[in-house]
Amino acid sequence: MSELATGEPVIGAYSHEQALNILAASDARSLKACAEQVLTGLGDVTVLNNRTGLVMLPFEDTVKGTAFHLGEVLVAEAHIRLAVSGIEGFGAVTGRDLEQAMAMAVIDAAIAIGHDSGPILAFIEAEDARQQQADRERLRKVEATRVQMETF
Amino acid sequence: MAYVATRGGEHAIEQAERLYRDDLGTIGKDRVDAIRISLPYLVDRLMGEASLYEPDLAALALAQTGGDLYEAVLLLRAYRTTQPRIAVAEPVKQPDLFTLRRISAAFKDIPGGQILGPTLDYSHRLLQVGVLMGEDYVPAPVTAAAEPAPATQPSLAAWQKTQGLIADHKSEAVAPDDIPDLTREPLLFPAPRAHKLQSLARADTGGTLALGYSTMRGYGSVHPTVNELRLAEAPVRIHHPRGTLFSAGSVRVSQAEIISKAAVLELGFSATFGWNEVKVIAAASLDLASSQPDAHAASTEEFVLYHTEPVESSGFCIHFKLPHYVTFQSTLDAFRGVKADRAAAAAAKAAKPQTRQEEAAL
Repeated sequence: MSELATGEPVIGAYSHEQALNILAASDARSLKACAEQVLTGLGDVTVLNNRTGLVMLPFEDTVKGTAFHLGEVLVAEAHIRLAVSGIEGFGAVTGRDLEQAMAMAVIDAAIAIGHDSGPILAFIEAEDARQQQADRERLRKVEATRVQMETF
Repeated sequence: MAYVATRGGEHAIEQAERLYRDDLGTIGKDRVDAIRISLPYLVDRLMGEASLYEPDLAALALAQTGGDLYEAVLLLRAYRTTQPRIAVAEPVKQPDLFTLRRISAAFKDIPGGQILGPTLDYSHRLLQVGVLMGEDYVPAPVTAAAEPAPATQPSLAAWQKTQGLIADHKSEAVAPDDIPDLTREPLLFPAPRAHKLQSLARADTGGTLALGYSTMRGYGSVHPTVNELRLAEAPVRIHHPRGTLFSAGSVRVSQAEIISKAAVLELGFSATFGWNEVKVIAAASLDLASSQPDAHAASTEEFVLYHTEPVESSGFCIHFKLPHYVTFQSTLDAFRGVKADRAAAAAAKAAKPQTRQEEAAL
């Protein structure tokens, strides 16, 4: 589900938040293929972190407004630095796929330096359209279960 | 009495484990994938009780334990301890929930309408025995509506607060890192509400149901009705090193608000990982019941939270099958001592009349 832009566009019309949301929800295989293509022109890359770990997820109680911990979510994260510019890239996805997180970090770094923005923008636009379409189709099925109440 | 070290069971233990695993056979990725895809509600239940969300690992735990849920919870809780905590996410609020089911049993015309979502609530439950004869069971496709449902819905409690029907408690402003955390602090009583709700979120479904059911049947003073029941997907929002907040993915969650029919409308709440309606309804009932000033003994906070912890309760129960030879031997020694004392006393008593007879003869 795409969210409203909450910052300056960093690629095309997409804010950093939107781009990251879309990348994290992307099809893993397509994301990795895009990163492979981008990586060739980035120069040397230092991996600062590429690991799995836990993210504690708080939830707000609707009755008394108390925030409490629902539980922990396993997340794969990657944090890299480009040797030439010192720019860093970051990726994090739910699950255990370290390559997927690394691919996201590579694309994030490429966006930050404006490298290969054409193919990256095309990828993000295609993924955005796919994700929105999938959400729409799912919610059309959900809407079919709406109860049309009759009042007697 | 001294403890006596014994040995000699190593071979038997190893072979017993082999026999257990032999019965389950070879576990491959295909089996794990099949469990994850075909048993999503079981995987959800396990992730909720383990308090660890990762469907692949949960399916693997089920494969390795042959579906023994308590063993599977233990495996996931143990795995969790091997992982560092990377971050505490932004708290999930109602507008964040990608909602797929939202109903109320208390109010017919709720803002946003009644959305049944995926459910068998109003359907006949029949075994499709033809599948066992080789006939595939192909479910009828959903006839999708022309327009999608709204992706998000407000909570019913929020609407009731605006109507003045229930008390409007203000949200407590707590930084995510400062939210009380049961995995790092002991559960003490009276428990902070954050501990109570976290404990219920990771509680055993069966235990929660048993205690919740007892309050529903009358062992408690609340008469619960489902105010709102929701199945949704919640984003896991964390900070990028440059400060941008983004979603790293989403997880399935369920939540329930329970309303009592007392003089003043009161609500109970519960939420958990995965789609597990019976657990959140029972847990929200227990939240409400345990908040009463005269809570029944079986629905006090301490009773409920101590007895619904799946690893502690199952572990305590099954530890009784492990060797207790030393303690049981001491009990036997005590029994034998008492028996010997009684026999000696009886012999002495039997000897006394004879002495009197001898005295009379004299």
